[in-house]
Amino acid sequence: MIIPPYLEKGDTIGLVCPAGYMSAEKAAACINTLDEWGYRVITGKTLEGNSSTYFSGTDEERLADLQQMLDDPGINAILCGRGGYGTGRIVDLLDFKKFRKHPKWIIGFSDITILHSHINRNYKIATLHAPMAGAFNDEGYKNEFVSSMRHALEGRRTQYHCDPHVFNRPGKASGRLTGGNLAILAHLTGTRSDVPTRGKILFLEDIGEYLYSTDRMLYQLKRSGKFDNLAGLVVGGFTDAKDTPRPFGKSAYESIRDLVKEYDYPVCYGFPVSHATENYALKTGARYKLTIEDELVELKESL
Amino acid sequence: MNRKQFLSSTPALLAAITLPVKGIAATEREVSAIVPPYLKSGDIIGITSPAGYITREELMPSIQLMESWGYVIRVGSTIGKRDFTFGGTDDERKQDLQQMMDDEDVKAIMCARGGYGAVRIVDGINWEKFTLKPKWIIGFSDITVLHSHISRNMGIASIHSKMCNSFPDDWSRAEPIQVDTILSIKKALSGEKMRYETAAVINNRNGMAKGRLVGGNLKTLESLAGSESDIRTNGKILFVEDTGEYLYSIDRMFWNLKRSGKLSQLEGLIVGGFKVKADTGGEDFGKTVYEIVMDKIKEYQYPVCFDFPVGHQKNNFALKCSIEHTLKVSDDICILKEL
Repeated sequence: MIIPPYLEKGDTIGLVCPAGYMSAEKAAACINTLDEWGYRVITGKTLEGNSSTYFSGTDEERLADLQQMLDDPGINAILCGRGGYGTGRIVDLLDFKKFRKHPKWIIGFSDITILHSHINRNYKIATLHAPMAGAFNDEGYKNEFVSSMRHALEGRRTQYHCDPHVFNRPGKASGRLTGGNLAILAHLTGTRSDVPTRGKILFLEDIGEYLYSTDRMLYQLKRSGKFDNLAGLVVGGFTDAKDTPRPFGKSAYESIRDLVKEYDYPVCYGFPVSHATENYALKTGARYKLTIEDELVELKESL
Repeated sequence: MNRKQFLSSTPALLAAITLPVKGIAATEREVSAIVPPYLKSGDIIGITSPAGYITREELMPSIQLMESWGYVIRVGSTIGKRDFTFGGTDDERKQDLQQMMDDEDVKAIMCARGGYGAVRIVDGINWEKFTLKPKWIIGFSDITVLHSHISRNMGIASIHSKMCNSFPDDWSRAEPIQVDTILSIKKALSGEKMRYETAAVINNRNGMAKGRLVGGNLKTLESLAGSESDIRTNGKILFVEDTGEYLYSIDRMFWNLKRSGKLSQLEGLIVGGFKVKADTGGEDFGKTVYEIVMDKIKEYQYPVCFDFPVGHQKNNFALKCSIEHTLKVSDDICILKEL
């Protein structure tokens, strides 16, 4: 796995929207903060794009914008403004030739899971699963989760702790980190952006799904073999879960607990990776050590 | 023989049945379906609920009508059971379905309703007796799990149709479209060759196709991708339908079909009902279902038929999965015909 160069003061971050629409106003706090951190920011045409639809621009516009950022040697990292939906519509049309010669950090989560998975699998280049531009708003730029992105980009080894959860299965694991948004991971199954999970630490999070639908997606991961040979499992937030009029009867965490009970690798729940504020920057593709004890949960980047 | 051994021997079994004389391995396209025996008067239809829960009372219209067709109805132990949204616990649902599959007296199994839950039990089913003595499995929506699993692993035909919860309460007052839909199940079970005509719509792509029919609920098909139940579509006519999904989600599902290689080698595509969930304010997706579909398949030439009467709507005609059909799409009409 190739780890892209970490950023230095004066380096340039490109801000792009490969999926949903984002106004420039909503990215202002992010741009100011990146500037304070010592980076230059170049905004793509898809930020406050000329679009009246759900998307930040047409497929062609979003593709061209991201392609330009991938190809431009003057851009040292690409931060996605937001997720939403749309990255999957352009991923097969992206040309990664120049990016492979000059890898750079691709930053984002949610719909951006597509880029993490696609790049990790096909080009063996690590990416950064982390908060996006919107997370800087409402004084978000002060919190430790947004700061964790800064630290990750500066090349500090990421090391996180979280509270124990009653469902946790203690143990130690070591392996490359893979994962992201559950709905996207399920959707990528069977495609050429699907990441093998054998020997890896898998992390999952999701938002706003019906409980039955979450259960079905988990069954898809299980039935496609993704839980079989994990080194460890990190369960993040499953926020704003919805239920049907006939209650499903299980929380997302209970669905996961039931589906992995036959394995013996360590599993932790409630890790701060989510669509809520709690969302640490994780280097997808990099090696991590997971330690789960009764009183301690630690996810630490290995050398 | 345990289940694992059995499953691994299934392809060999199929190959043995269909291997051409010269010993060249048959491609999937050449393999024809194993057709369960059609039903005769007095045959038993079992009703079970592998997914959502249903009361016995809700079954009554379907029982009465199917009895009037001359069949004997056996009600499974999951009917009236409830475990939250499910028709009993996973074990209870699995056992009921297993019992019906294994019981030689039961000639067809109608799933009482869909919902969610078939995928939670499908890997626990032992298919040994069913494979030796195939019988009709009937249902749609969540039951797409069973159609897809059976089609892929056993090549046994099954019936994609309405289920017990959609039989009209009062048959004498049912709308003609309901009557036709429900009667199509009877026709399918009794061995009539199916033939459906539907008016052409402007978005169709004309042409002729011939191939085995596979498909079902799109969300369910997507959720099976990468699994042992993942549908194989090469050389086939694929039908899809869905309900209550946002346009962006429908778009994403078609991307999954495309990116997992399911659209490139089709003979034909049938798009049934797609009841779309309205976009939330200010977030218009900006594309119709027609555009979403055609965008994915513009580089292929096979015929495409939209608004076919299959889906979560009143006109949802019985389709025989895995059996060879022809599809003719022309300026004024679409005809799907069982061979």
